[in-house]
Amino acid sequence: MIEINNVYKRYKTKLGPGPWVLRGITLTIPSKVNVGLIGVNGAGKSTLLRLIGGIDHPNMGSIKRHCRLSWPMGHGGVEPDLTGRQNAKFVCRVHGFGHDLRDRLAFIQDFSELGKAFDDPVRTYSSGMRSRLQFALSLAFDFDIYISDEVTAAGDARFRNKAAQAFKDMIHRAGLIMVAHNESTLKQFCQAGILLHNGQAHWFDAIDDALTAYKDTYS
Amino acid sequence: MTSALRNTLTVWYALILREALDRLFDMRGAWFWLLAEPAMHILFMSFIRVVIRMRTVANADALMWIVVGMLAFFLFRRTAVQVTHAVDSNRAFFAFRQVQPFDPALARAVLEAFLMAIVAIIILVATSFFDRQIIPDDPLLVLAAVLGLWLFGLGYGLVASVLQNLIPEMKHVLKILMMPLYLISGVIIPLSSIPQPYLSWLMYNPIAHALELVRLGYFEHYHTVPGVSMGYVYAWSVASICLGLLLYRRFAIQLTMR
Repeated sequence: MIEINNVYKRYKTKLGPGPWVLRGITLTIPSKVNVGLIGVNGAGKSTLLRLIGGIDHPNMGSIKRHCRLSWPMGHGGVEPDLTGRQNAKFVCRVHGFGHDLRDRLAFIQDFSELGKAFDDPVRTYSSGMRSRLQFALSLAFDFDIYISDEVTAAGDARFRNKAAQAFKDMIHRAGLIMVAHNESTLKQFCQAGILLHNGQAHWFDAIDDALTAYKDTYS
Repeated sequence: MTSALRNTLTVWYALILREALDRLFDMRGAWFWLLAEPAMHILFMSFIRVVIRMRTVANADALMWIVVGMLAFFLFRRTAVQVTHAVDSNRAFFAFRQVQPFDPALARAVLEAFLMAIVAIIILVATSFFDRQIIPDDPLLVLAAVLGLWLFGLGYGLVASVLQNLIPEMKHVLKILMMPLYLISGVIIPLSSIPQPYLSWLMYNPIAHALELVRLGYFEHYHTVPGVSMGYVYAWSVASICLGLLLYRRFAIQLTMR
């Protein structure tokens, strides 16, 4: 369960504080529900995801995480000068799995389908290879809730299908908070929806209702 | 052990291994240059001092005087520089909540101390082939002074990294600051050769105090310059680390954001 209590967020610009992106968001996200975050570009979807993930902090308000929560999948977490394997080792160790490195590394190498490139520096990867590595990394650990920012768009068509399948298996046993612009992706993975509009969040128990409300905001 | 402490320790462990990889194998022979840089400085300076000019400095053997001072100074400089850039080089890893800005800074300082210990042992053993005694007369005093110097390097790095992230121009100022430190800290020019009142100005620099103390620990009959104080070194170390930690606490978000 994640409790978001009266959260405000704005960013600094060169001309002082910018406009409020999030204005007083109060939400409780249960553990076992798959939620889609929707809203127009710049509505604060990624901002809210980063705040939930704990890699950025609200200007006001608080966020309490009562569960094991993943890092925002598909964003950062990979150092370009290290090889895929070295990155994977680091991530395993940081998550306290230094003792069964071998199994997890085998899984990551296998799932990402990087083959020999697993031992090349990440900066030599194509963007598809890189997102495959990032996707495999986040699947290697068991979290209660995964957070993902457009992560299913990784790789070519064949890998996307495999990723979608793995994603489905994963969200049967864990919760998911995701940002996606594609309506069918949202319908495929999410039951509930959060609509971000004018810095406010609106919760919908059914993703279809959220998408309908979303269309009303810009039409 | 609480889980918060265990998390922190696993993060430090992972960061130290990652940094060691970077420092030793980043480019071809990176580990060689780690050793070669101080060795070259020592060779060059001791050639000028021992062969051309004199045999002793303030009642200490000139070669050992340079070796000891140079190694201690390199410990400070490398720790300071590595810690200064710790946050920049690990930006990708702040995607993980459990990695905080202070973690890579500490990991780098610990790694640097470890690597400089190895470098110092190799260079000291090499010096022993020139009929020099490499065991200090007062090892505890040497350790205390070196520890103070290392802590000051960590503190300096913490403060410097926040400054240059908040004020980009500070990058140039800090570089300009580092350069004369080599000259005014008594690494190659004996402070005893500098007249008053300039000497007392130079003694505001805690590195000068620490280097004199390391040498005093090494050579029992060494004549330090007047006013050398261990307390002064540690006052700077503690003050700079406290200030650095305060700045990290206050500006943690600005440090990890781009």
